[in-house]
Amino acid sequence: MADIGFLPSFPLAATNLMLVGAVLLCGLAVGQIFVRVLKLPRITGFVAAGLVLGPGVLGLLDQTMLGELSIFVDISLGLILFELGRRLDLRWFTRDPWLLASSVAESLLSFLFVYGTLRFFDIAPVYAASAATIAMATSPAVLIMIVHDQGATGPLTERLLALTALNNVFAFLLIALLFGFVHLEYRADLLQAVSHPVYLIAGSSGLGYVAFIAARALARWLGKREDSQFGMLLGLIVGTVGCAISFKLSVLLALLAFGVFARNLDRDHDLMAVEFGPGGQFFLVMLFVITGAGLRPAELAVAGAIGGAFILARLAGKLVGLGIFASLSGITQKKALLLGIGMVPMSAIAVVMVQGASALYPEFGAKLSSIVLSAVVILELVGPLATQWALRRAGEAEPATRAAA
Amino acid sequence: MTLDFSRSAPFTMGIELELMILSTHDWNLIRGAGDLLALIEKEKHAGDIKPEITESMIEISTSVHTDYATMLCELTAIRDTVVGNALRLNLAIAGGGAHPFQHWSEQRIFPKERFFHLHEMYGYLAKQFTVFGQHIHIGVPSGDDAIWLAHMMSRYIPHFIALSASSPYSQGMDTAFDSSRLNNINAFPLSGTMPFVADWNEFNGYFDTMRDLKVVESMKDFYWDIRPKPEFGTIEIRVCDTPLTVEKAAALAAYAQALARHLMLDRPRAPSLDVYRVYSFNRFTACRYGMQAGFIDADTRSRRLLKEDIAETLDILVPHARALGSGSALAEIGASLDSHQNGSGWLRDTFKQTQSLSDVVRLQSRLWAGEQRLQPVR
Repeated sequence: MADIGFLPSFPLAATNLMLVGAVLLCGLAVGQIFVRVLKLPRITGFVAAGLVLGPGVLGLLDQTMLGELSIFVDISLGLILFELGRRLDLRWFTRDPWLLASSVAESLLSFLFVYGTLRFFDIAPVYAASAATIAMATSPAVLIMIVHDQGATGPLTERLLALTALNNVFAFLLIALLFGFVHLEYRADLLQAVSHPVYLIAGSSGLGYVAFIAARALARWLGKREDSQFGMLLGLIVGTVGCAISFKLSVLLALLAFGVFARNLDRDHDLMAVEFGPGGQFFLVMLFVITGAGLRPAELAVAGAIGGAFILARLAGKLVGLGIFASLSGITQKKALLLGIGMVPMSAIAVVMVQGASALYPEFGAKLSSIVLSAVVILELVGPLATQWALRRAGEAEPATRAAA
Repeated sequence: MTLDFSRSAPFTMGIELELMILSTHDWNLIRGAGDLLALIEKEKHAGDIKPEITESMIEISTSVHTDYATMLCELTAIRDTVVGNALRLNLAIAGGGAHPFQHWSEQRIFPKERFFHLHEMYGYLAKQFTVFGQHIHIGVPSGDDAIWLAHMMSRYIPHFIALSASSPYSQGMDTAFDSSRLNNINAFPLSGTMPFVADWNEFNGYFDTMRDLKVVESMKDFYWDIRPKPEFGTIEIRVCDTPLTVEKAAALAAYAQALARHLMLDRPRAPSLDVYRVYSFNRFTACRYGMQAGFIDADTRSRRLLKEDIAETLDILVPHARALGSGSALAEIGASLDSHQNGSGWLRDTFKQTQSLSDVVRLQSRLWAGEQRLQPVR
């Protein structure tokens, strides 16, 4: 039989879009099972789906496929950090300086407690410090998704978002500085050790500022129409992510800065508060599945004890830091406790940032990963549950949780 | 059992105001009452600050006043307490009769026995009751005076509706009404007006019957536009939207006070059932058209513009305002009449300029905090 040219030849060549669709559907299906059967947050389901599909277990998603999907990670992180930045109302800290104090305290104590714990396990200072920096940040992706899924609104939710925005700022800045130390550790010269952090911090926030100026100008031209502002912001966010990658800047810092500028420098309120809604959901589901695929359950066995100690030290730092300033900041100890538990999800974003260092010095990345990854595995799965529990206990979640699609 | 009517000094007044608690992120209502009240309880403050039926409302009330200036002073102090504490939580507070774009289904009932009971009884109406009103109390010496004054005040209810109206937007839409809030109240079975009873004794007879029939348990179950409040020794005018500023709220109370003084001392006419015959019509047009509404005067059987009737009333009240020391308050009401501007006008103008309801709410909260004059400012 002659070849029929218009028919596909077998075996079928898998296209990227088929992969994206399959990943999305798998994630959503497992998410639904988690919500309906296990009564767990669907985020945990997304991560679990990724974990099982990924190289760690079944290996249906391999490293090359994950590499092809990385664009979704970049875009979704961009969306989340912009959204998070818009939650950082700097005027709040002038009205309630104790809130700033409690944020500094919880970030600093999580850093110190984790650093001390890792040093106890004889981990070299530069690795201990990098891991402790990762411990500072709460995962904005998990927080924003849980807040959305639970329909949570209220003062505790707002406080949780503001504190998370701030501990991410602290962590990002510190990671940029740590790059300097990593350079020194690997015998690069002093000039490089100093100029790299400066380039990252100044360049990324500068890029965020440029994006904000562009957004404001376009918003003035477009007027107050949510649909057009939505498209404009989405375009600028994706474009900024691209620029940050091209200039070898920090995508995370740039987008966070964009959001913070949009919230605090938009004096005439030209920019509307848009919700990324269903479109954003797509990116978030991809993000969690891909994050899950990056996890290695085997790590648990290797560094289980260190991971457990890491998690406890981190939680203790957050709880003590928030507890000290609770009454000064006008909240009860119970609320402070709920805040601390709400902040349990650890930012895989910080891990991504440290991987920037791995690209320069693979040996460093490998060593650091072995230290933090077991904690990441546990917290990716347990974190969403902790946040959900805290929001419900605070009475700020919708009573009948929307079984979101 | 009869209701005891506490005596109170005539022409004393007090105000209750229901206020919105707002998120400074998207300017929607936010469930902040619990935290805000906990923070406020820690400090000594003027007046009384309480929860209301849903968690995004808070109610403030003044003590009893005879003087407009001291009342405004207390009200301003309460306002500053609430706004200041809200700022610490990064929340905002605003006046206005309805939140322009909240969705009633998203509201949550404040955890308190009475509110849960109301929610169970009224279903979605209880959540739709997330509207914000001003209640004005006027002191009267006896139950008989309360009944008499309530009947006489009924004629003037459209004045209070039009002057205070500040709920043109509801659920994200322009309702075409100046006060959309009162439409939410009309749905309740015991809303409307007090029956046409002659005195306190007859009122007690009515109340006993209603209680024996198990229609009501207490006076609180009547949602009338004006009702006697025996425990305070007052009549309570309940039709006003919460105005956009404390100044307007105090001026409305002063208007009610001067009107009560005029009615009680001058005794211009006797209570008449005719007033109730035109009542629903006058009330509706005032809600719908505000100051531009038509008004049917049952007494003279003539028809005129509501603002003309208010202007005429203001003239009659001049000597009473002088005696009570509230001339400046009534002048303010006269000025709003000249500019045809009530809260709804300001809200619509502000929307025209900003093209965004969340901007409207943001500016509304600045107006309430006293950071902005009552004129549209970008």
